[in-house]
Amino acid sequence: MTAASTSPPTHGPALILGTLGVVAAFSVLASVMLGSVPLSPGEVRAVFLGQGSDLARMLILELRLPRTLAAFATGGLLAVAGALMQVLLRNPLADPYVLGISGGAAVGALLAMISGLGLAWVSGSAFAGALLSTLIVFGLAHGTGSWTPTRLLLTGVVVAAGWGAVITFLLAVRPSPELPGMLYWLMGDLAHARGNALPWLTLFVTIGLALPLGRSLNILARGPLQAAVLGVPVRRLEWTVYLLAALVTAVAVTTAGTIGFVGLIIPHMLRLVIGNDQRLLLPASALAGGVLLTLADTLARTIIAPEQLPVGVITAMLGVPVFLFLLYRSRT
Amino acid sequence: MSTTLLTLEDLVIDIPGRAAGMALDFPVLPGQCWGLLGPNGAGKTTLLHTLAGLRRPRAGRVLLDGKGLQNVPRRRIAQRLGLVFQDHYDGFPSTVLETALIGRHPFLRAWNMESAADHDLARRALTQMDLEALAGRQVQTLSGGERQRLALATLLTQDPPLWLLDEPTNHLDLHHQVAVLDLVRREVGARRRGAVLALHDLNLAVIYCTHLVLMYPDGGMCWGPTDAIFHVQALERLFQQKLAVVDSPEGLWIRPVPGA
Amino acid sequence: MTGGAGGSGWAPVPADARARRRCVAGPALALWLCLPFAPAGASAQDIVAIDDRDRSVQLAKPAQRIVSLAPHLTELLFAVGAGDRIVATVAHADFPAAAREIPRIGTATQLDLERLLAARPDLVIAWDSGNPRSPLERLERLGLTVYYSEPSDFAGIADDLRRLGRLTGSDDLAERTAQDFEDAINALRVRYSERPPVTLFYQVWDRPLMTVNDTHLIGEAIRLCGGRNIFGDLEALVPRPGKETVLASDPEAIVSGGPGEDRQDWLEPWAKWTSLTAVRRDNLFFIPPSLIQRHTPRIARGTRMLCEALETARSRRGPEAPP
Repeated sequence: MTAASTSPPTHGPALILGTLGVVAAFSVLASVMLGSVPLSPGEVRAVFLGQGSDLARMLILELRLPRTLAAFATGGLLAVAGALMQVLLRNPLADPYVLGISGGAAVGALLAMISGLGLAWVSGSAFAGALLSTLIVFGLAHGTGSWTPTRLLLTGVVVAAGWGAVITFLLAVRPSPELPGMLYWLMGDLAHARGNALPWLTLFVTIGLALPLGRSLNILARGPLQAAVLGVPVRRLEWTVYLLAALVTAVAVTTAGTIGFVGLIIPHMLRLVIGNDQRLLLPASALAGGVLLTLADTLARTIIAPEQLPVGVITAMLGVPVFLFLLYRSRT
Repeated sequence: MSTTLLTLEDLVIDIPGRAAGMALDFPVLPGQCWGLLGPNGAGKTTLLHTLAGLRRPRAGRVLLDGKGLQNVPRRRIAQRLGLVFQDHYDGFPSTVLETALIGRHPFLRAWNMESAADHDLARRALTQMDLEALAGRQVQTLSGGERQRLALATLLTQDPPLWLLDEPTNHLDLHHQVAVLDLVRREVGARRRGAVLALHDLNLAVIYCTHLVLMYPDGGMCWGPTDAIFHVQALERLFQQKLAVVDSPEGLWIRPVPGA
Repeated sequence: MTGGAGGSGWAPVPADARARRRCVAGPALALWLCLPFAPAGASAQDIVAIDDRDRSVQLAKPAQRIVSLAPHLTELLFAVGAGDRIVATVAHADFPAAAREIPRIGTATQLDLERLLAARPDLVIAWDSGNPRSPLERLERLGLTVYYSEPSDFAGIADDLRRLGRLTGSDDLAERTAQDFEDAINALRVRYSERPPVTLFYQVWDRPLMTVNDTHLIGEAIRLCGGRNIFGDLEALVPRPGKETVLASDPEAIVSGGPGEDRQDWLEPWAKWTSLTAVRRDNLFFIPPSLIQRHTPRIARGTRMLCEALETARSRRGPEAPP
């Protein structure tokens, strides 16, 4: 073995996923136990055993648990979307929002709010906006010929900027009474996350659909020609991945607004440690993304309580040092 | 017919912006090693990509098992032929062994992980290419020659009946150039494989290829067994270069004649 | 730019949305009602008030633990004598001075629900257009009694005072406060609303430039003082005009708030436009934001300052002014 560079430590997949699973369990536990109102471990245990004071039950079962679950699922969705985007665009700098998905979702949500529609309509509208943006970008990038990742990226960036302008226009011209809430949503906020099963359902379905495509994705990451010659149905796979990533991002953004950084950093960090096998990277990203966002949200709502920090600030503050450390250690 | 590896049926390759050239029409049979000769831009890479089904021809068809390529499932094509590209693009970090292993993809079902047998095949391929010591290395750190050998190892792991090689001797030192071509000749001969190679080196082409295709820059084509095709004037016209032929005990030897 | 001194615009809630919310809120409240009072149903002693979303808010007895989710709502509660029963409020609740001692549970737009619940309120006073909807809906689902306040005119403020007084069991004090407020406003109306109109530009914020239209509370104050808001008939509640439009309209007076209670920073930039009528006659007036931009009884003071300012502007008209 030459001294220059060795392969990433290839521990067994079971060990990696097992470790991440344990960390995930701990992060969920921590998130439920911590909050702006201190509860002793005994009180927490009592609640899970069916007893506990009314206040403790309300805090844990009605506030913290739904929020924790929403945070974990959203973090997982964003990380998986980021991993898929990075493979699709063959670019480690891609993140879930690079193709204008969050902008479309925001415009949809904003239009619904301005029309005075209820919260369910706002979520649905955000979702529709995200998917519409996906179709616009994909359609425009296709143009008269086949699209390349560069073309897709450029189109996405431009469309995202276009959405940004529309948002600013709407905010300026019709400042809705919902404005403060909307601004926080644009920054990413789990306080507004409605506790439903959609994020979890999406996460499981996505992993289930993406895992069998894992090896094909590994090869697709090496270039479309190489993949095609090894029997990978490139065009169909690219469409599938794109729509999957868009769907996942749309659900994440609809749940908790546009939380940045998770989708970019988590797949990257994991790649430095476990390599780029998508069959391992995707489920690991889901777990690690969930952990990051859960911890970040816990900190966001407790550090300077009763003030609440935007969770996107915390994800950056947590993610950046860890990433830099791993990058430094890997020296690739 | 059942053993034909690939058939070119009135095939005209498509080079954008250039008028249609001559049609190619011949089968590739096991035991044959076809050499593609021609100056840069003649369309050697285009032809190889067309034979692999990556590009549409301007006219004519490529037949695999009697059917046109576009009617054969991609997976089946990948089990019957493999292509080593001129340029290698790696994207994300990966190891040498992982890169060789992708050759097994056409034979694995979606849910299958690579088995121990697959790993063995890959390792054996690496050994044949003199790369077994680098199995754990990151591909980005390989030299040009090592990367080229790795691409060949991937093909060996895939082990299809028909090999398409785009300038396989690029970046290789002389020892490895000969080793690779020896390997090709061995596989083609002993294991009844077929091969189509794009080569720049005239002498190597003459030594190793059983058949040649001369691809002229104006689109003209000339093909057949090496002995029949091998004409100094044809080669001079092909490369726009004066040549001298030397007869030696080992065989014919072509030398370019330097200008004044 | 939240609550407090900033530009706070709100539009009246559309009726169908109110109906929708009533249908959601009704059953939840009915359930709440049934719990300890099942035998008699709504008894005659129940305290009932209709909030600004047309929902019926009911308490068995006067509220003892109140959470207020906006600075001006805290002020209103103190005005009806219920200030000592506020157990938690949000940031920037600074009037009266005692309000600063009340524990905080976040800001009007970012609520700390855990601390809110831990405060065990029996009544939550919410600001319909200022608080985020989702957390409040969650509170309602958890069984809390929420009263949505959204006064949009002077009558609404007086009404809010009365209703809050009813809910907190200080009907008499609330009635007196409301009456005093209405009397003060009426006195101003009688005295000033028929006076020769003064065109004016009211500046809510400087960057971006923001003003109000006629349906805004401040718009009503302007009308009451016999003023004519040059941007009154614009559609938006809080329009953002360009500076050119202001210059072209050449208002007779410019009234503004400021970044603080005593900083006239926003008036100074206008002074250099010496061709403006308002500048030539020195009709640049400052009104401390908390006296006119919060929906509380103190708006009577701010309105009086506005009326007096306009009266001053009238006095500075030359002999060519219309009678």
